Amino acid sequence: MDTIILAVTALLGLYMAWNIGANDVANSMADAVGSGALSVKKAVIAAGICEFAGAVLVGSHVTETVRKGIINPSALANLPNMAPGEPAALLVIGMSAALLSAALWLNLSTWVGMPVSTTHSIVGAVAGFGIIAAGFDSVNWGKMGQIVASWFISPIAGGLLAYIIFKFINRTILGQRNPVAAAARITPFIVFFLALVVTLATIYKGLTHVISGLAWFTDTHSFAIALGISLAASIISRIWITRKLAGKDTLSLANQLEEVEGVYVPLVIISSCAVAFAHGANDVANAIGPLAAVANILHTGTVEMKVAIPLWILVLGGAGIVLGLSTYGYRVMETVGTKITEITPTRGVAADIAATTTVLICTRLKLPVSTTHTLVGAIMGIGLARGLAGLNRGVIGKIFSSWIFTVPAAAIVAIIFFLIGHYFLLDQIREIILAANSAN
Amino acid sequence: MKKMSIIQDLFGKSPFGPLVEHTIKVHECVEMIRPLMEAVANEDYREILNLQNRISKLEYEADLIKHEVRSHLPRRYFLPVDRADIDRFLSCQDKIADKTEDFAVILTLRKTRLHPNIIDKFFEFVDQVFQVTGTLLNAAIELKNLAEVSFSGAEAQIVIERITKLNEEEWLADRIARSLSKDIYSLEKELDPIDIIFYEKMLLTLSDIANEAENAGDMLRTMIVK
Repeated sequence: MDTIILAVTALLGLYMAWNIGANDVANSMADAVGSGALSVKKAVIAAGICEFAGAVLVGSHVTETVRKGIINPSALANLPNMAPGEPAALLVIGMSAALLSAALWLNLSTWVGMPVSTTHSIVGAVAGFGIIAAGFDSVNWGKMGQIVASWFISPIAGGLLAYIIFKFINRTILGQRNPVAAAARITPFIVFFLALVVTLATIYKGLTHVISGLAWFTDTHSFAIALGISLAASIISRIWITRKLAGKDTLSLANQLEEVEGVYVPLVIISSCAVAFAHGANDVANAIGPLAAVANILHTGTVEMKVAIPLWILVLGGAGIVLGLSTYGYRVMETVGTKITEITPTRGVAADIAATTTVLICTRLKLPVSTTHTLVGAIMGIGLARGLAGLNRGVIGKIFSSWIFTVPAAAIVAIIFFLIGHYFLLDQIREIILAANSAN
Repeated sequence: MKKMSIIQDLFGKSPFGPLVEHTIKVHECVEMIRPLMEAVANEDYREILNLQNRISKLEYEADLIKHEVRSHLPRRYFLPVDRADIDRFLSCQDKIADKTEDFAVILTLRKTRLHPNIIDKFFEFVDQVFQVTGTLLNAAIELKNLAEVSFSGAEAQIVIERITKLNEEEWLADRIARSLSKDIYSLEKELDPIDIIFYEKMLLTLSDIANEAENAGDMLRTMIVK
């Protein structure tokens, strides 16, 4: 019986992951597609690989926050008049309800064309369940406040970083009398920074999750490895760029700028892949966090404070995202790609590096942020640096309205699902859990 | 079916592409001035009419592009330069096309002959005005590249240098205009007064074109220095 519950929850998690893949992923590759560096088809393939890798390699860090950071499971256990196994059953129902409500809300929003955040949806849904099941106090409002703050901080941080990076590129390369020579000199440093951020985020704690039992894999060692990889990447880029730009420094200024943008084409592909990677790392938690909670309860029969997330759940989340991308997300990608955007590869690289860095740092700090909003912030930052020819300010209003709507909407829907599940299924699930408990 | 993508909504259309297009179209109008003057000198009044028709058409086409640029400038767009500067730059260019059309129309109103004593200087003046508008074209055509380097650095420096050159050329055009004016009035005894009025009209219209070109250049400079 407990396998049926697990299977149903896994399906819900998959549905949620599908939605993430269908909606969000296209945005993470927007800079590469928008600047014409990648075709839609290639972008879908690249995004699929990077999302999956990000989800499986780094994904576990945020999972905890969504699962138990927002609501405190022990608040359920401490409620008066609880039958044995009831808190666990409540949590199973609640987490399933949260998954279903967030996924449905996302699906609906996709359908009507409203840009909502997957992260906001699941946070709202889990909070809604917490309020109705165990009262206002069961929600960790301090953590909730942190998360809400991060929604504002992440676009601002992304924007600030993008502003600085683009100003740097503009001043040291594009604004020079000889941009080709400057590009050959400066670009390896940018590659180094990008590689360092990505490799650090990947191996710092991510890889140890997959390859366990490596005693020498300490923080110092991983830092040294990251430095080594980044150095290698920057040397390779240096050789490649020097060869690509050889003899081009006698061209006119306008032609030189074109050549420099040409050099940034592969870079914007790589950096967009990094955004997809960070997105996978950050957003997979939205789908698998609740799933992991349910799996643990069914496995142990108790509500534990801290659980390890099994690899199969991460793989399931990653697979769901890829599935969503390949069945629906490519259509969103097409609209991003076919609309003539004025972003050039250098701008794309600056926005991508800023977004990747912000998202990965937030992921490491266990703050679930919206990748899309961070990237929007980064692109805005480049606009502020006079880097973009035309930027639609109305989008900020859209994002604000999605902030206002999504959290309460997902919360209310989750409450409704929870009440339905509570009414019809509580006793059955409680017995299954008790059975699983005695079997252990 | 609507698709959900914030990023897609985020990018506005760039006004700079159409702005460069407009500049080029306006200059096509200006390029008709010298053939017009040659037609006047040859007293080929049919050719003047032909050219006037062509300028009218070009001016209309320039107007269409102008509307397109304006449609790229809704308030909600966030631009790397001041919206008002783009608008004023556009107005200056618009006036250049308008004045060129006026010039052609003036020539069709009356069969005015150019007095042999002023022909050379008149052509010198026309060429100098053309030099001014040509330099403006050279500077303004860089707008797209300027957007690429976010209006700074070496590229911006090059454009600033061109605008400085434009200022000097306009000053020279003014000087030629004054000297031409004097030449015209020195012929007041032998000229029909209506001829003088027409020369004066032609001269003022051409001066206006050079002036507007200078104003457009100054707007370009403001965009860069902002």
